[in-house]
This record gives sequence, structure tokens and C-alpha cells, in this order.
Amino acid sequence: MRTLSRRAGLAAVLALSLLGVVACSKDSDTGSSDEKITLNVGLFGDFGFQPLYEEFKKTHPNVEIKERIADFGAHHQNLAAHLATNSGAADIEAVELAYISQFTSQPGKFHNLLDQGAGSMESQWLPWKWQQGLSTDKKSLIGLGTDVGGMAMCYRTDLFAKAGLPTERDKVSALWPTWQEYVNVGKTYQSKAGKGAYFFEASGNMFRAMVEQGQTGVYDNSDKIIVGENPDVKKAWDLTVDAIKAGESAKLAAWTPEWTAAFGKGTFATIVCPAWMTAYIEGNAKDAAGKWDVATVPGGSGNMGGSHLVLPKQGKHPKEAYELIKFLTSSESQAAVFKKTGNFPSLPKLYDDPSITGFSKAYFNNAPIGKIFSDAAKAVQPQHMGPKTGDVMTAIGQGLGRIEQGQQQPDAAWTQVLSDVAKLQ
Amino acid sequence: MKSLGKVGHLILLGVLLLSIFPIYFSFVVASQDNSALGKVPPPVLPGANILDNIQRVFDTVPFGQALINSLLVSAAVSVSVVLFSTLAGFAFAKLRFRGRTAALVLVVATMTVPPQLGIIPLYLLMIKFEWTDSLVAVIFPALVNAFGVFFMTQFLREALPTELLEAGRVDGCGNHRLFWHVVLPAARPAAAVLGMLTFLGTWNDFIWPLLVLQSPEQQTAQVALSTLRSGYVQDYSLALTGTLLATVPLLVVFGLLGKQLIGGIMHGAVKG
Amino acid sequence: MRARFYRFDQATSPYLYILPFFVLFGIFGLYPLGYTAWVSLHDWSLLSDEHPFVGLKNYGELLADPYFWNALRNTISIMLLSTVPQLIFAILLANMLNRKIRLQTLFRLGMLLPNVTSVVAVAVIFSQLFGRDFGLINWILETLGLGRIDWQAGTASSHIAIAVMIIWRWTGYNTLIFLAAMQAVPKDLYEAATLDGATPMQQLRRITLPMIRPTLIFTVIISTIYGMQIFAEPQVFAGSNAGALSGGNARQFQTLTLYLVENGFSKGFEFGYASAVAWVMFLIIIVFALINFVLVRRVRSAS
Repeated sequence: MRTLSRRAGLAAVLALSLLGVVACSKDSDTGSSDEKITLNVGLFGDFGFQPLYEEFKKTHPNVEIKERIADFGAHHQNLAAHLATNSGAADIEAVELAYISQFTSQPGKFHNLLDQGAGSMESQWLPWKWQQGLSTDKKSLIGLGTDVGGMAMCYRTDLFAKAGLPTERDKVSALWPTWQEYVNVGKTYQSKAGKGAYFFEASGNMFRAMVEQGQTGVYDNSDKIIVGENPDVKKAWDLTVDAIKAGESAKLAAWTPEWTAAFGKGTFATIVCPAWMTAYIEGNAKDAAGKWDVATVPGGSGNMGGSHLVLPKQGKHPKEAYELIKFLTSSESQAAVFKKTGNFPSLPKLYDDPSITGFSKAYFNNAPIGKIFSDAAKAVQPQHMGPKTGDVMTAIGQGLGRIEQGQQQPDAAWTQVLSDVAKLQ
Repeated sequence: MKSLGKVGHLILLGVLLLSIFPIYFSFVVASQDNSALGKVPPPVLPGANILDNIQRVFDTVPFGQALINSLLVSAAVSVSVVLFSTLAGFAFAKLRFRGRTAALVLVVATMTVPPQLGIIPLYLLMIKFEWTDSLVAVIFPALVNAFGVFFMTQFLREALPTELLEAGRVDGCGNHRLFWHVVLPAARPAAAVLGMLTFLGTWNDFIWPLLVLQSPEQQTAQVALSTLRSGYVQDYSLALTGTLLATVPLLVVFGLLGKQLIGGIMHGAVKG
Repeated sequence: MRARFYRFDQATSPYLYILPFFVLFGIFGLYPLGYTAWVSLHDWSLLSDEHPFVGLKNYGELLADPYFWNALRNTISIMLLSTVPQLIFAILLANMLNRKIRLQTLFRLGMLLPNVTSVVAVAVIFSQLFGRDFGLINWILETLGLGRIDWQAGTASSHIAIAVMIIWRWTGYNTLIFLAAMQAVPKDLYEAATLDGATPMQQLRRITLPMIRPTLIFTVIISTIYGMQIFAEPQVFAGSNAGALSGGNARQFQTLTLYLVENGFSKGFEFGYASAVAWVMFLIIIVFALINFVLVRRVRSAS
């Protein structure tokens, strides 16, 4: 009898554990609008959506919203994998500019927002931002734009003062009309600041800013990779290499713990600042309030980054998900997000709204960031992004990293970059 | 056999400290807030933030769910491996049948095949079964393994007296009843060790769950842990708090059953 | 009736008992193995619906790719850097534990503790210890006046860091296995040797090692197979940027498994190519296992 019960127990444990697992892995929610549903929102970084969810739930009491946050690189890589395997994607996913073309080239994987009536809203968005969300064949709209990344340059006034540089933002802007002059200021900074102080954090950001200011970047308009052919790319590379050689880079890889900690420790004095970067600065260096300020970016205007919210086809609740992204990208929401985190709206009617243009932040030494980023966004000349822009940028960033870490000479690094991106074509 | 001198004991003590230190240090960092990170000298004593950090881990990723997932997977796999290995081990060790030797050789030979070799087709299989992103995808491929069968065969060959089986047969017991009434009870010590080894191995498995489990609600503790390390919140104290949370259950098991585990490993080694 | 059933039971039940194993193992173990070879002969991207047969093209491309050879070099380097010290430490420690010692249980438990900790946990902890700016190890080096090392950036330094993780996790486990083998060596051999005036070191070389040769072979081969498949340590060590699977900016610590996953599960989801990598990896593992087998046998015949 004893052995019999043990035998039954063993079988029961096995059966239960298997059944239990199968049961938990099933999706149980389909059905009417009264039924509780959960929308998963996959983001990289803090988009400042939390308070907006609460508001959305007031009109949609049956909707539960869960955020999943990964870092920039992992987020986009995972999304590609989830689409390829038709499982694991969230109901709503954020896609950054460098990756948007990769996804607009496979519209079959997403709900077409035009089917939900999004077409009537086109005039609200910056025309190029709207275009970026359209599929390659223009027949479907896969994403609604959240923010744009009009560029500025953030700098630490205290570190500038210590190095004998001007601290007042107009004078600082006047130091660097061009990137060459920016690098030169960096050389002055390196000669005056002590050991362990650097002019900027990582070469990849600076490079990306320069390239994205150009008429064309790493792709031509027919989606051919032109890293080797576009003289602007090589120029940006050479100048970045020049800055690395002058010891201006803190050699931090973006989105690592070291990078995060360096904001708070004041390891570096400047960082290219698309509007969304202000959120990272504030989040990473809470104690440095008032020390950061915002000047204009060298080389004129340009857009760096900015995101779209897309709805993968795997999502079971396209109607509710569409209502949520429509709400999250509405002008009220975008204005609120900007004031909270710094992500700058992609809706031009806000660019002349006094509540935006008059907005400043004590954290950034009361810099009129509303005005600065409005001007930047208005001046942006859009650049065509190809399907693998993100991977191309990663390959180039690794090349710059090899120079920073002393593993390769610049020429060899460039040759390897060219052969790496050739494989991506 | 001479006894070990003072120097020898000191060396062993040093090794013991080296074994413990990284785990201790992860507790130190896990109990600090992240701003303690850049401090010079680095902290060597625990701080007061461990509970805050645990709270933050659970806020950042569904870690509770991940621990439950790991527990489910490890338990299901362990039970199944023990059961099926004992069954097969019984047949190989004590029953005579055509093709026995060939089958056993096949089992032993497959032990040397690295699991990585199969991940691509296994992945295709999971897509076909529509099992990707669910725990069954982690459980089913692990339900049996060649090591378990080999281990049980070796153990039963020695520990299970053939006379006992014959006595049972004389009483009219078929093989099925013998299995439940004689073999399983006799296999208990080895089953405990095999179960524990399988549990540890499954709990710590990484590459396959990482590839096949995608959404946070389905992840095992190891995958959640690596997400935490490469997550948006770039924070060592958070990452190491997660490390501790994923390790503590094993340390508890180890504390309770470590001696048997050592016995099992050493026993298996002599035989292997 | 009963007797007939009994005979039937005797004849079929053994097959019934090994059936679950072989069925499950067939589906999830053997079938994938063969299917890998089939997939490797195709241009098989998960992103496209067409999978044309391409013969040995994937293998040709693989052998022509410098990044493959780089990954192979890294893997062998990390394997040697981890396996050799690990086994030497394990033998020496087992030799100490094989004497009469105090706190025997405590030491044995301590040996196994690192092995219970998961690979990912070990990699996370050691990545922190080996951190460039805030790592404890660099702080110690700097305090000693030796200067900081950017562990991740260098080829040798990154291999050492990864090898340390492996050594830490596996030395104790191997120690226990060696200890078990040593305890089976007849004690009178040592007593006779002691009478002949052999030093402990000589006894280890002349008696212990030859006597535990089967265990030695087993352990070396298992460690080699494990070493050839290293994945979690470099993956976690690389951190989180988009190129993490490349094992550093210069692929300085990309192992074969990272290379496999990079090709199969990120860029383009090239399953055909990744399957070719898997098969080549398997062949390399077999070659290494054979080399080790021969080497360890010769060690004995030399002594």
C-alpha cells in the first residue's frame, strides 16, 4: 500500500507539473470589450508613458497595461526575432528611427493602421515623420510617430568653467559652428582639464549625429548601402577618429553601467543631445541638477533618433492597442511627455504652442529647451533610412570602438567596417 | 596516509574563501544603492538596501514569475528524467532482451553529442509545434537524457540484487509490479542524486531557454537574470540582487542536500 | 492464460521500459542531429519562405570567413586557459583532501559551492569584478600600483577573465571527482613508496596519476567538450550593446557558440549557415576529444 501511494504520488506530480505548465502558457483572453484584457507595451528606456496609462484606463476600465523595458540594442534585436518566429512580441512595440525601415519593409507582420482609420490624422504629423511609418509600398501604415530628435549639444557648465571655457549658452554655441571647431574646442578642453576628464562620452554618438545631419547618410534613396561611396560618411569618420586620437572620448559604450555612472561623476563635459537624450541625462545624474546646460549642435540642424509605436500582427487586441497608441501620440500626450521626460513632439502644431516654446527646465540651468528643440525640429531636413541602418551603425560603432580600445589602426578599422557592411547589403 | 599539515589546511581555507567570496561580494553590492558603485575603496561590507533592491528587481522584470517558471520546469524535468531513466536502467541492468547491448552502446555514444548541435532544427520543430515562447519548449526536449539512463543502469546493476527480482518472479510478479515494488524503492538513493543533479542543471540552463523563450512572462530565472543585466536600468546593484535571488533557492537545496550530492558525484565518478 | 501473459510480459516489457527514452530522445535528440545536416545544405533563412538546396555552399563560405577562424582561435584559447589550470588545481586540491584533514565536510561543501551557482550568475558577478571603471579587481591592481586593465578590450585579458569564470565554477567539481578516484587507490602502494623514501610529489606523479588514469581521461574529455561550447560567460561579459553577440568590438572573445547564435538568431536568421557551423563544431569537438584521449594515454606510458 505504501509503495502504491508513492507510485500514485509520483505520477500525479509529473502529470500536475506538466499540466500546470501547459495551462499557464496558454493565452486565455479573447472576446468582448467588457472582458479584462492586458496590453503589453515593449519599450527601450523610459518613454514617460506611466501617467498616461492611468488616464487611458479611466476611459478603458477593462484594459490593463504592462510595460516591458529592454535596452536599445536588445529591444530591436528581440523584436526582429519575435517577428521572425511569430511569437513573443508585445501588443505595442516602440521602434527607433535607425530600425524603422527594417520593419516597414515587412508590413505583413504588422496591423495596418490605415485599416483602423489612421489616414485622417496624417496632416497632424511632420510629413517626413509620417512617411517613415509607411510601408515601403506605401500601402500600409505600420506606426504612429512619438517623438523626433532635433539635435542640440548638452554640456556641463561647471566643467567648462574649470577648463577656462565660456559657460553661457550663446557663447558656447558660438564656439562650435562646425564639427571641426567642436573637435578643436575639445583639444583645448583636454589640455586644461585634468587626468580622467574627457570632452565627450563615446565616439559613436558624435559620429551618428554628423552622419544624420547630411542630405544622405549610409543609404541612398534606392536602399543601397553607400558607406564607402558617400564622402560625408568618411569625413565624419575621419573627424571622429581625430577626436579619439586627441583623447577626447571617455570610451564609454552607450547603455552600459559605466556609461550610466559617468553622467553622475562628471567624467565627460559634452554629449550630443537630441531631445530624448535629456531624459537620460536627468535620469542618470539626478545630483547634477543645474550643472548641465544646452547649446546648439555643431554643423547645423539635424534629426537623430525618435520613435514610432507599432502593432505587431501577433497582438490579439488591435482595436484597443490602436486606441492606446492614438492616445499616446495625441498632441496632449506628446506635450505632457515632453515636459516630463524631454522627448520632443513630432506634431508641428505644438512647435508654436507657447506652453512648449516657453518651457524651460531648472535641471538644465533653465535653458529654454522648448524653444531650442522647436527650432531644431523645424529646421530638420529628413534623410532616407535604409532597412539595416541600425546594423550598419552598429558595425561602424564597433569600428570606432576598436580604435578607441587600441585594437586597430584607423585604416584597418575602416577597411573592416567596409567589409562588414558589405555583408549587410 | 599522512595527515595534512598546517600549511595545507591554510591553503584549503584560502580556497574555501575564494569559493565563497564572489557570492558574498554579490550580496555586498546587492545591498548597496547604485551610487555606491563608484566609491573608492569599493564597499566590502553589506549596506542596508537589500530589500529596496529586491523590490526594484520585482518591479523591473516579472522575477517572481521567472522563479516559478524555473521551479516548474526543473521539477517536471527532474521527475521525468528520474522516472524514465529508472525504467530504462532497470531494463538495461536486469532484463535480458534482444538488442540490449546495441541499445546501451547507442545511449552511451549519444552522451558525447553536445546539445548545441541540435538547437537549429529543435527550434524549427518548436515553431512547427507552435511551442516557441512557452515553457513546454524547454521541458519536452529535456524530459530524458542519456546520462540519466547510463547513471541508473550502473547503479541498478550493482545495488539491485538479482535474487530479489527472482524471488518476486516466483511469487508471480510481472515486471511492472517488480518495477514499482522492488526497483523503484531500491533506486531511491541514486534517484535522489540524479534528481538533484537534473534539477540543478535544468535550473541553470541558459542558451536554449534564452533562444526559445521570449516574452518576460515565460522566461526562466536565468534568462530574466541576463535581461536584468542587459536591461534598460543599467545598475549593478540591481543585476547582482537578481543574481542572488536566482541563486538562493539553489543554495538552500545545497545546504540541505549538499552532502548527498557530493556523495553522488563521487560515487558516479568512481563508476564512470 | 496467466502463464502466457507472463511470457508475453517478459518479452515485451523491456522494450516498453526503454521506449519512452528512445521515443523522446529520438524526437528531441537524434532527429535534430540529422536534420541539422540537412538544413546545413540549404540557403535556409527563417525570414524567407524559400529554402533552396545549395549543397556545400554554406561550408565553403564558413571556411572562407575569417570571423569563423577567429572564433575557433578564441574558443581554443579560452578552453586551454581554463581547462589546464582547472585540472591542475583540481588534482593538487584532491591530493590534499585525500589526506587526513580537519573540517573535511566543510571543505568538500566549499569545493562544490561555485558549481551550484549558475553560469549566468557567475558571469554577472565576475563581469562586475572585472569591470573597467568600477571593478574590484582593477581597484586592487591600481592600489598595488599595477595600473588598471581594460579586461574586455584586450584579447588576452578578456580570455583570462572568461577563463577565470570557468575555473572558479568547475575546479571544485573536478576536485571531488579526482578525490573519489584517489580514494580507490590501494593505500599500501603509498606505504611502500614512503618506505622507499619517495616524496609526496613523486608519489603523486608515479602512483596517483597513473592509477586514476581512467578518471583523468574522462575529466579531460568532458572539460574539453564543455570548453568548446562556452556561451553564457562571454555573452554576459560582452554586456548589452547591439553587437553583444560579436564578443567585443574586435570579436576578441567571440566563441564558436556565439558565432553560431550570431548567424542563426540575429542577422538574417541564417539557419542553414548556422547549422553548418554546428556540424563543423561537432567535428572539431570530436577531433579534440580524440587528441586528448591519445595524449592522456601517452602521459601514462611515459611514466
